[in-house]
Amino acid sequence: MHVNRRDFLRKSVCAALGGASLYSALGNLRLVAAAANARRYAFSDYKALVCVFLYGGNDSFNTIVPVSGQARTDYESSRGGLALPASGLAALTPAAGGGPANYGVHPAMTEVAGLFNAGKAAVVANVGSLLYPITQSQYQNGGVPTPPQLFSHDDQTSQWQTSRPDDANANGWGGRIADLLHTANAGQIPMSVTLGGSNLFQRGAIVNPYAMSSSGVTRMSYQDDGDECWISNSCSDWGAANMAANTAAYNALIEAGTQAHVLERAFADAATRSIANYRIIDAALGDPPTWTTPFQDTDLGNQLQMVARLIGARGALGMSRQVFFVSAGNYDTHTDQSSNQQDNLTQLSQSLKAFYDATVQLGIADSVTAFTASDFGRSLAVNSSGTDHGWGGHHVVVGGGVSGQRFYGTMPSLARYDDGNPTSNPDDTGYGQIIPTLAVDQYAATLARWFGVDGSGIADIFPNLGRFGSADLGFMG
Amino acid sequence: MIWARVRRFPRYAAAAAALLMGLPLRVLHAQALSHWPDAGFHDGFDGIAGAITRDADAARFLAQATFGATPDDIAHLRLIGYQGWLNEQFAASPATQTQYLDWVLAQDPGEYISDDTRLESWSINSAGTPDPSRSGYPDNAPTDQLRQRVAFALSEIFVVSNSNGTLAYQPWGLASFYDLLAADAFSNYRVLLEDVTKHPAMGIFLSSIQNRKADASENVHPDENYAREIMQLFSVGLVQLNADGTPQQSGGQPIPTYDQTTVRGFAAVFTGWDWNGAGCSVDYQEGVPLCCSNPDNPDQFFYCGPSNSDDAQWRLPMQAVDYWHDDTSDKLLLTYPGVALGGGVLHAGGDAQAELTAALDNIFHHPNVGPFIATRLIQRLVTSNPTPQYVQRVAQVFNDDGSAQHVRGNLQAVVRAILLDSEARYGQWQRPDTFGKLREPLLKATHLWRALAGRSSGGRVANLRTYPSIENLYGQAPLRSPTVFNFFKPDFQQPGEVQDLGLRSPEFQILSDTMIVATPNDLFHQIFCDYTGSDACWGSDDPATLQMNEARDAALAASDPAALVDAYNDLLMSGQMSPFMRDVLITRLNALDASDYGADLGRVRVQHALYLIMNSPEYSIQK
Repeated sequence: MHVNRRDFLRKSVCAALGGASLYSALGNLRLVAAAANARRYAFSDYKALVCVFLYGGNDSFNTIVPVSGQARTDYESSRGGLALPASGLAALTPAAGGGPANYGVHPAMTEVAGLFNAGKAAVVANVGSLLYPITQSQYQNGGVPTPPQLFSHDDQTSQWQTSRPDDANANGWGGRIADLLHTANAGQIPMSVTLGGSNLFQRGAIVNPYAMSSSGVTRMSYQDDGDECWISNSCSDWGAANMAANTAAYNALIEAGTQAHVLERAFADAATRSIANYRIIDAALGDPPTWTTPFQDTDLGNQLQMVARLIGARGALGMSRQVFFVSAGNYDTHTDQSSNQQDNLTQLSQSLKAFYDATVQLGIADSVTAFTASDFGRSLAVNSSGTDHGWGGHHVVVGGGVSGQRFYGTMPSLARYDDGNPTSNPDDTGYGQIIPTLAVDQYAATLARWFGVDGSGIADIFPNLGRFGSADLGFMG
Repeated sequence: MIWARVRRFPRYAAAAAALLMGLPLRVLHAQALSHWPDAGFHDGFDGIAGAITRDADAARFLAQATFGATPDDIAHLRLIGYQGWLNEQFAASPATQTQYLDWVLAQDPGEYISDDTRLESWSINSAGTPDPSRSGYPDNAPTDQLRQRVAFALSEIFVVSNSNGTLAYQPWGLASFYDLLAADAFSNYRVLLEDVTKHPAMGIFLSSIQNRKADASENVHPDENYAREIMQLFSVGLVQLNADGTPQQSGGQPIPTYDQTTVRGFAAVFTGWDWNGAGCSVDYQEGVPLCCSNPDNPDQFFYCGPSNSDDAQWRLPMQAVDYWHDDTSDKLLLTYPGVALGGGVLHAGGDAQAELTAALDNIFHHPNVGPFIATRLIQRLVTSNPTPQYVQRVAQVFNDDGSAQHVRGNLQAVVRAILLDSEARYGQWQRPDTFGKLREPLLKATHLWRALAGRSSGGRVANLRTYPSIENLYGQAPLRSPTVFNFFKPDFQQPGEVQDLGLRSPEFQILSDTMIVATPNDLFHQIFCDYTGSDACWGSDDPATLQMNEARDAALAASDPAALVDAYNDLLMSGQMSPFMRDVLITRLNALDASDYGADLGRVRVQHALYLIMNSPEYSIQK
């Protein structure tokens, strides 16, 4: 049978990729070709990126909050009853030349404030999805294109996770990084792992994430002596011959590529990969260590704890580069924002701190960077007990490799917008939503460069990066 | 049918090529067992009005129209035909959930009624088992399978969820919402849209309840949540559609249906709605004022409401409090050819109900609604990738039901059109490679319950009351979607071959590595533990455990495993099991012999057959 070059490329890059199938998407052939031939990455060190996605749109303006000065006055005027008292905020004390000294964080985030002040965390200000840099007057007059479906959760989540508002079919930027770098890993599991559910961020042309639950690996009971076997008293009595026959029958049915129907093949492929991956991870994961800072038993805490355990098993898994995804929901605070944000940010701050301390304990704090992302920031204007969808938002990057104790980017004006006078807040779209001054591309490219993607890789992964001011925001040194 | 046979040539060509490459004959023999459904018996041109010539075809229809075929259903459908069956189903009385919660509470006022209790009622209504909460038990099993199946589909479009912190503790509110979907499933879309808009669970979920008109001095704007999602997810979607559901293009780009100004227009319409005031008084009771409208204290609007989960206000439509309704601004709504409002503008001055009526009419008459709803309902019931022609035929019925009154939005007619369309009945022959959909994992459980005549000894059904919660095992549960976007999106494409071919595969979005293991494990538990008379596992003999009647088929399984497999082929797989799969199953069952299992042999074979079938790729794809 004739095998053409495209098939050869496909098969060679697909060997032992875990997350791939023989029919992987070839949306960007250039990326695939780059992966297949000359540019083989190899690293002597280890690095991990951890995306902490806050679903719903975190209200940045009640997360990083002015304590004093004109910004404080503006904030109180705009936020009215939703404004946080200055006295409760946890102070941020930037290094000399590291940004404004009159901001603090939400009272629930004392741990993050501590990390910032210790130089292990940075604030990246007013980041959002952009096609081009855009000013208020350009926005109001329609002179410069804006990303489609601004303020729509689904679309903005996609644009944050792909960094490509110009391409509705783009893969995730984490996936694109993995497509280029995965050959650096000797191990058999995918370079990308998600504890936070299915996501677009990690979807690649070649590499797709392995999804697992924060409670760990579960085995199938029918053939693999899973949990049901001690609950049910059935398979525990079956004996080796029966388990072997079960396995043979099940494997025959899910044998990859043998099914007649395309959806059947997709199902079988998914099942085959999952079982292969869980066996590898099951063998590599030991018992959870005793962490210096205990992880809280919260959803996000549990996800980050499992990430820490997987990082601890990186040697056994043969990984030198890994991309993790964790997530938290309930950030869409249209109502009851005060109580919801208190809960959300407590969970976030405690989890980030426990995770950072875990990386210190594992001796690789400088090698692991966690960064927040979200659909959007929320509106500066308020409704009765909450806020509406916004655009630009502030984010936090945490890790030993971060040039912390600094703000990157520019904090926007928080003044209340006056309909008759657009200069009342030149950062406001005109309806209480703040125009971003940094693009997701720039935020992401800074992380990708630290992670080890070279210059031409950055250009391939972030084709629109040149539209914006700087390709590297500097928060990773 | 020649067409179908020609499509299979590549498989035989591959076998021939293997021979030429010198592969061992043993491998060739294995390849001789086809992985295609055996099409030998069927000609596919019976016609909708004609007799249904095979049990398998009846089962296949029931897979699309119910929560799973039973032997009785199959026989009955063959007797009365598709139209007769549909007419019966449209007339069957609706099964509901709120009375079940009332009943449980009345049985034991100390029992905590949780959202898991609501799932008990869903289980009973979806499985069609006798309902202890209503008169006539145990001879009162609900029969409105099609209505319940459509309600389940609607619940994945008009989404409310216990993911909301308030609704997580309001089982009556959620049960009432689901009852509404069931009640309106065969009504009119316009009626459904208004009922959904006014239900307090939706008001809570998308923050339209107690939404207030703008106040410039306090920098307050009406919340836009419901305004955005009613358009994006419930009616017209983000982009202009052709009549066949394909997106319109202008200069190679899709055309947005609305912009931010329109969102704000609708947001201003959905202001001034609050808890129903039925039976309320302005007297304070336990410190909480009950009525939301009080001319002496307008702010009562914001802190009125039900005290208890089972209060009537959770089950009654929201009511208008015009004081808080925006009556001063003109509102830009949707514009489209033939729009009733000039320029799409709703001029200021109307009261809350009048503006709600005008706004919902404005949405209802948008040309997108037909193809938008048609595509989604087809995906929920029949196939992930309907042809544009199929979508258009159904959308046309939405636009005009073909009656003398030319009714728009007749959901009964739409459901009939979906199920009786030639693509629904014969699509698996037209496009055997790609027609169909990944079964929703929870519907594997309901199928098991129905096909194996599951019953609980006590009447309550607690099979979905698991730890961890059932949505952690199946990736889904009724009214438990993580967001308003449902568990999976209509246009999700599984990476790999599916995406390469440009196909959609919504249900794959929840086929995570976790669920690939957890769902089979839960089915394993129910199959191997929960059979009639069992005390094999912890909880198996609980009066609320639905037990499968595996004894029914045990004798056949013991004496003739091949016949059992053939019977399950019809009952569970609509006759579409491939010879290869049949061989694998028979081999496995034959290897289980009496020396190991004695009198239990039949039941054990039934169990292995059920497990292997339900977790196989061929069963998992409904086609």
